[in-house]
Formats: sequence, C-alpha cells, structure tokens
Amino acid sequence: MARILEGIRVFDLTVAAVGPWSTRLLGALGADVIRVERPGGDNLSSAVPPKINGTSVLHISANHNKRNIELDLKQESDRAIALKIIERCDVFVQNMRTGTVERLGMGYEDVARVNPAIIYVAASAYGRSGPMASYGAIDPEIQAMCGWCSIMGREGGRAEMFRHLAHIDLTTATYITQAVLQALLARERTGKGQKIEVEMLRAAMAIQTTKLAEYLATAAAPKPLGSGSSTHVPHQAFLCQDQRYVAVGVVREDQWPGLCRALKLPELISDPRFALNAARVAHRDELIRTVAQRFLTKPAAWWIIALTREKVPNAPFLGFEELHDHPQVRTNGFMVELETPHWGRLWSDGLPWKFDSTPAGPIRPGSMHGEHTAKIFAELGIERRGK
Amino acid sequence: MSIAGSMAGFRVVDLSTDLCGPFCTMHLGDAGAEVIKVELPSGDPARRIGPMIADESAVFLSLNRNKKSVVIDYRRPEGRDLVARLACGADVLVEDFGPGRVADLGLGYDNLARDNPRLVGCSISAFGEAGPLKDLPGAELTIQAMAEYTASLGSIGEPPVRVGADIASLNTAIFALQAIFAALFHRERTGAGQRVAVSQFGSLLHMRGIMWHALSNPDDWYGFHLDSYTYPAEHGYQTKNGPMYFILRHGSSEDWDRFVIELGMEEYLNDPRFGNYGRRATGIGQHAADVRPIWEEAFKGRTREEIIDLVRSIGGDAVPILDYPALVSHPQVEALGAFTKIEHPTAGLFTTLAPVVRFSQTPTAIYSAPPTLGQHTGDVLQSMGLSISEIDALRVAAIIA
Repeated sequence: MARILEGIRVFDLTVAAVGPWSTRLLGALGADVIRVERPGGDNLSSAVPPKINGTSVLHISANHNKRNIELDLKQESDRAIALKIIERCDVFVQNMRTGTVERLGMGYEDVARVNPAIIYVAASAYGRSGPMASYGAIDPEIQAMCGWCSIMGREGGRAEMFRHLAHIDLTTATYITQAVLQALLARERTGKGQKIEVEMLRAAMAIQTTKLAEYLATAAAPKPLGSGSSTHVPHQAFLCQDQRYVAVGVVREDQWPGLCRALKLPELISDPRFALNAARVAHRDELIRTVAQRFLTKPAAWWIIALTREKVPNAPFLGFEELHDHPQVRTNGFMVELETPHWGRLWSDGLPWKFDSTPAGPIRPGSMHGEHTAKIFAELGIERRGK
Repeated sequence: MSIAGSMAGFRVVDLSTDLCGPFCTMHLGDAGAEVIKVELPSGDPARRIGPMIADESAVFLSLNRNKKSVVIDYRRPEGRDLVARLACGADVLVEDFGPGRVADLGLGYDNLARDNPRLVGCSISAFGEAGPLKDLPGAELTIQAMAEYTASLGSIGEPPVRVGADIASLNTAIFALQAIFAALFHRERTGAGQRVAVSQFGSLLHMRGIMWHALSNPDDWYGFHLDSYTYPAEHGYQTKNGPMYFILRHGSSEDWDRFVIELGMEEYLNDPRFGNYGRRATGIGQHAADVRPIWEEAFKGRTREEIIDLVRSIGGDAVPILDYPALVSHPQVEALGAFTKIEHPTAGLFTTLAPVVRFSQTPTAIYSAPPTLGQHTGDVLQSMGLSISEIDALRVAAIIA
C-alpha cells in the first residue's frame, strides 16, 4: 500500500537543526520534501563538525528522505521560481529569525497569495513578540532559558546542561511534524490551509509539563537529584559489586514487592515506612541507604536477572557499541544501517513509529547541496537562465 | 464553547495511564476531540503522584484537561463489553498495556476493528513490540539508561545523572501524536483505519539519531557531538550572581577588541584559542572547554546581566541559566502566554502550561478542567444509550463507578 503522504509536497526553507529535522519524517511518510538551500548551502549546519567524508553529520542526519535544490531568494528570478514551486506544494516550513523570511518575500502572506491552501509553519526560538522576539537561539541557549538545567546534575550540585545539544531542537522539530500532520488532516476536512507557529522555548517547556506542575503546586524550586526522581522512590541508579551501575525504577505500587523479593528484603514489603510510594518518598534517605547496601553485594548482571524475573523496571547503562547490535534494537529496527552514495555505511536512527497497514520508510540517505536542482526544475517545467 | 480545533467531532477512547498516553491524549483534547479517559476503579496511578493540590495530584492535573473520566472495570467481561461498545463509536483508541496485553483483555485492535474498521488504534510500549525486552515494564531512568542519555550528563567516573524532565514519556507522546494524525489523515482519504505503535525506547533512540551518524564513520574524533561523550559536566559560565551561557556569532575586529578590553582580557587578544573573534572559544567552538576558566575569571566580578548585555552588544547570544521561579516570571515567557490557569472543582484555580502550538484556522482551546475519578461515567454511558436502571445495575455490580 502507498505511504501515507504520497503526493504531498513540502517546500523546506529551513536552516540549522530544528527546521530540517521537522521535515525529515514527512519524507519518511512518503512526502516529496524539497529542501531549498541558499547558494553554498545552509551555513548554519554545513560547517559543524564532526564530518563524514567532508559533510557535517548534522547535514547528513537531518536530510534523509529529501531532495535538495539551490535557490538564491535574494534574486528576483529565483524568488519567482520558488513561488512556482510553492504553488505545487502542500506544506511550507521555515525557521528563520523574525524579519528574515519577510525580507526574502517568503512570509505567510507572500506564500498564501500564490497558494491559499498552503500549510505554513513559522518556527522560532522565542516567538514573534516579547523582549527576546528578535533573538535566534541554538539548543544550549534554550536549555539555559527553559529551566530544565536547574533540575539536572549531581544531587546537591550545580545545574547542568544535557551535552547532547539536540534534544530541544528535536523536541521542537517533532512538535512541528505533528502539527503539520494535524493541519493536513484538518485540510482534508475543511479544505483550508493555515499558519502554524511553534517556538523552541515553549516546546522545551512542554516536555517539562510534569516537573513544572510539581513546582507550580509547591512554589519550591526543584533541585538536581543525580539519577533520582522527585516523585518515585526508588527510581535511580545503584552501584553494584562489580562497580557497574544498574538503573531501577519502582514506578507502580505493584513493583515494590517485586523489588523487595529480588533484593531478599521481604520484611520491607509491608513496612509502613515503605509500603506505598508516598511513604517511600517521605523516607527516601532511610530506604535508599538500605537498598544501596544490598545492591553492592552482587554484580549488575545478577540484579538485571533478578529484577527482570520480578518484572521490576531495570536496565544497564549502555553505549553505542552495545546498542547497535542489541537484539531489542535490531528486532524493532530502532537503529538501521544505511548504504549511502556519499558517506559509506552509516548508522541512523530508525523510524519512531510503526503503521500496521501503511508502512513508512525506508529511510533513504539524504543528498548533497543542490543535488536535485536540475531534476526538480525539469519535473516542474521550470527554466532558469544561466547556471 | 464551539470547537474549531482539528479534532472537532472526533471521539478518543483513552485507556492509557501515568504520563505518556495521557500527555498524548491531552493534545487531542486541546485540538477539540472528545477524550474519554477510561479508568479502573482504582484510577489512573498518576492520580497518586505527589505533590497534591488539595486531594488532586499536580502531575495528574497537568496531563488530563479536556477529558472525561469514566470508571469501568474492563477486567470483567461486562466492563470489557462496555469499552468495546465505546470503541465502536470512536475514532481513536490509545492504550499502553504492553505488547499483546490489550488483546488478552479482549480489546485488541483486530477485535475492535471488526465492528469499527475506521478506528485508529495507538499502542504505546516501553521497549517496543518485539524482542527480548518487550514484556519488561519501563521507567523513565531505565529507558534513558538503555538509550545512553546519561552518557551526555555528569562526568566520567562519577555516578550517572539523568535528564530531569520525564522525556521518555513526554517526547514519546509527541511521536504518538504524529502517528495518530498521520493515520487519521490516511483514513480521511481512504476510509481505512489502522493500528499504529510507538515505544519509549525507540523514541529516545530516534532522538539521539545525530549521535549514531556521528559515531558511524567520522573523519576524525572531532566536534561537539563526539566531545559530549568525554567532556565533564557542563554548568555554563559562573558569574558573580549565577550561571549563564553565551556564544559569539558574528563579530568584527573592532567589537572583539572592545569586548576583550572591557573584560580585562587583553593578554588573549591574539591567542589562537580565541580566534575568529572568539567563536572558537565559546559555545560549540573547539577550544570552549579549555578556555572556560579564563572566561570565568573575567566574569567573576560582574553580574550575569552585565555579561549578557556586553555579549549582546557585540552581536553574540547570551542567556541566563534559569531555574523554575525565574522561568515562570520571565518577561519572554509572559509575552508568549505560555502559562494559563484552570479552575478545578476540588483543587481550585491552578496554573499549567497552555497548548504549545498555535494554529490560525484550527485553534486549540481549554474546554474543561481535568476530571475527578468517574466524573462522567453516568453521562457517557447514557450517551451510549444505556438507561438509568441499567447504569444503576452496573454500579451495584461494581462494573462501573
């Protein structure tokens, strides 16, 4: 069966990470995503190391399932070509600073004039109003602003950033992707396109909904808890006899007896200090002392066996080398190996969803800057003088 | 209130609990769907997560607006039949019981789709629907640990540090939304529903995709993605009154000289580590980690507001590292209208995040407060055509509450 977005065309006027990642999954669903880059390419992503065969991994990873054309929108002739392409598009995505896209003549009004049914996404760092409206931002800046560093770090220690400087980018991107799909659904029902606005700062706050709720209820600023949780106990890493850590989370009441059995501490099951999560949160230090002592008596491998037997959430701390061949990862296709024309064999993330009757994918490697300019022009009957 | 959202007229049956499924279905409710949250008599366990506002869990309140709560004991045949009837008139069903478990309850997608082939079913699992870990229940930290998120926090040789937010649940919910909207779009075009599935482990691995590319076959071990594995904890830059973060973007020789002199750092003017007008020495620049102590020495007598103004004056980016009190009262957050207030029958007025994305034609809205347990059982069963006496009999039999 055809993929879900077969026949949908996307004009991808994005830069850096947020925008490019937002359209990438539309391509995996079958949309024809045309990444439009300025002459020389997206200078916000193309220079960022690490590189593979000279191409930034940011560019490689963000552009799977897309075609790539070069247009110089500062030239009237190329702008006219862009509008011709846009006439045949369903979706338009941009994540430029406030004012930039309007200067290029690619604001919502410009685009909707040639294509009123367009779904137009304007993504920004901080929004289009307020004291920071004119600012761009990269992932770590939003991490700093959004509050989430203040709940990360060693217990009793300083606030810490997440050094994978892409989680907020991808969170924003995934919010955009779902919004586009939602708007496509609405357009099927109403025939109308629309404008969608998303900000990195708000997306970053959204994934803290639960933590912000705790703060708003108590007015007590939450602090870093290492690997621990403010709401569930025990839910943290424990050091084992072999100096490895095991992650353990008792997140359901019915998992507590299982943990006690695995640890051979059955007397704790009905101990009123620990029997319910609320009591365990109140007696955290006491409980953790006892439990941590017990974990030190056997290696991590044993605890994983014992806890899994009792259906208590647990996991080892894995790294890339162990992950890509892990049977859980392989079986579900969570990471996939791609053969690419430009960069050799690569590991990529797999698709985040499974559709039982309209399978998405496969993931096709992205393209180099301007690779499809001539082909797309030919398909759309566009002629350009020069070049 | 009339509903203009993209899900207007759609009914969602939500069997999910805790954080992930409810965060997903809250967005469907914000988009105008009628979301029927089916709970066992004991209620969604999230109702007991502290802290509490009056007798309501703050976390539960933050995830369950725009829903109706119906208590049905679907572990019993009469209750299961009621849920099957609900699903028969629904557009979407969301469940998170774990692979195959919903079928064991007699509510598997294939079963329900026989009567309602237009149904979109969404299954959420911890580790995926196949493989040796498919039946292992998940928890925030165990998913993060498996997906190597803790490799980007803390320092080598020290205890693991987790991402503080509940990302294994909340980010996965966004992928569930994508899958549901895509499936509904397909159904609008073809008339056919289908089952979709997401997992927490798969979602977090997906979101680390740049890393897998970077680790595959890099030209050299160079660049911030790779460095992030070996760098120590990243605390930003200390100033007199709190941490901040900055990067230098554009710059001119004149600005750079002024900046360096203002900070009393003249001796580094021609230091190659500060090359390219300081871009190599900040943010993701290659020498940023080495020269941090030099910056912090220069910053220690100044407030972060002074440093931020100075960086901005030369076209760089600088932001404070905020905690929650500072975030909530920040003028930019206020300008965005990021928070809203909801009046709840027992918890009173509480503050929560407003819907994130703005749609010009299909606006989101808050239609109703998070429900108390079983608040809508009678209403919903009546709307299904059950009589008052039938409903009373089900109550007496403790099938519903």
